[in-house]
Amino acid sequence: MMTWLAHHRQALVATLARMGKTPFATLFAIIAIGVALCLPAGLFVLLHNITRLAADLPAQPEISVFMRQDANDADIASMRQRLQARTDLAGFRFVSRTQALAALSKQAGMNDLTAGLSANPLPDAWILSPAQADAQNMARIAADIRGWPQVAQVQDDSQWAQRLTALLGLGRDLAWVLAILLGTALVAVSGNTIRLQILTRREEIEVSRLIGATDRYIRRPFLYFGVVQGLFGGLTAWLIVAVSVLLLDPQASKLAALYSSPFHLTGLELVEALALLATAAALGWLGAYLAVSRSLRLIEPR
Amino acid sequence: MIRFDAVTKRYPGGHEALSNATFEIASGEMVFLSGHSGAGKSTLLKLIAAIERPTAGSVTVNSQNVGKMRRAAIPYLRRNIGLIFQDHKLLFDRSVMQNVLLPLQIAGFPRQEAAGRARAALDKVGLLKREKANPITLSGGEQQRLCIARAIVSRPGLVLADEPTGNLDADYARDIMDMFKAFNQVGVTLVIASHDEDAIRAYGSRVIHLEHGVLLS
Repeated sequence: MMTWLAHHRQALVATLARMGKTPFATLFAIIAIGVALCLPAGLFVLLHNITRLAADLPAQPEISVFMRQDANDADIASMRQRLQARTDLAGFRFVSRTQALAALSKQAGMNDLTAGLSANPLPDAWILSPAQADAQNMARIAADIRGWPQVAQVQDDSQWAQRLTALLGLGRDLAWVLAILLGTALVAVSGNTIRLQILTRREEIEVSRLIGATDRYIRRPFLYFGVVQGLFGGLTAWLIVAVSVLLLDPQASKLAALYSSPFHLTGLELVEALALLATAAALGWLGAYLAVSRSLRLIEPR
Repeated sequence: MIRFDAVTKRYPGGHEALSNATFEIASGEMVFLSGHSGAGKSTLLKLIAAIERPTAGSVTVNSQNVGKMRRAAIPYLRRNIGLIFQDHKLLFDRSVMQNVLLPLQIAGFPRQEAAGRARAALDKVGLLKREKANPITLSGGEQQRLCIARAIVSRPGLVLADEPTGNLDADYARDIMDMFKAFNQVGVTLVIASHDEDAIRAYGSRVIHLEHGVLLS
């Protein structure tokens, strides 16, 4: 156990010393890894922010039904009965034209506008929640109600929300594809730096083998190098994303303020950042492992 | 300690470096391998340390069949063998001290104990004052002594030396041979390959003579 710990400590110290000896090569490799990783990480952050923004919108798809301006209380009562008779609705609520006007005047800048009106231009409205929210079902309900008396307009609200959801889904898939591609690049970068190192340390490996080093002992410093390099690369990616968010946030919040939204850009959360670091370290290890396993078979003492 | 049973080593390409060799070396013996270069001395040493595997026959070291040893077990065999090479195989990217420490680090000795042992080994070969030097600044004889220090630092029961005095002046060569004799007196088994017949005769130890891969004891 003590031997094992001592070996690991030795390998870690030797790794850091070796990195210090070739600061430029190390720095370039770390930057390459960091930039490669910051692309998918940045895309995830962007999607996360858009998703958060979209969360304020109605999650449940709805259908809005607007009555004609001349619809009276009796029309509303008969409408209510017809809606209650339908089995394909999970629920509905009525928004009277006076309620709608009151809500509108509360919104910023609208008060002056509504105060100047002589008559209420808004129609009575119904908001329906369908039992099944798939696009086909919603379109069928909307078409059905469109033919009813005193109905002016039927709006299928779900469509653009569905489009947004689909778009976000596409973005998420794109981020995954990028993550896999650039993760592979990280493995390649790590493997290549390790391969070059092994070439320059061939003699040491040969001698170590002759005096009783196990493959595990020989492999260890290289694996450490891969992990530490990956970790620093991950840290660089985190830094790039954090700085980008910091730089973009003032503009983003200014834009949001114009729409009277308190929206702020957020960066990676701690758990996500740790996951990024762990992934970077794991991929660095993998690249090192592949390179060192291949090279060890080629270097046999003679 | 070492047993060869009808051992043949044929390299790819058909060259037979060792033919049907059978002999035994007891624990605590000091044995010279003599013969011209290319007679098979190095091959024989490599077979003992499992650097090469026999084409036929069996090589037994410490009652382990070395020729059929699993790859993963070989490092542990080598930790009990001190290897001394004609070309020293020193590492020039680290100090004299670091070179001697390497076998101890590999075997996992605690730092304090390793440093103590390494100093003792360097003292034994007369290089203690050069512990911080880079081996490239050492003379040929000093490099050979450093190689010996590295071979004996983990106190192996068996030391194999391939032409340890090959490139050295007679005085240096005698120093090194005296060193080997001192190791032998504390119970270390030594197998020393050398083409220097005069030096071998002067020590009066047992000699295994090889000619074109054939044993002529």
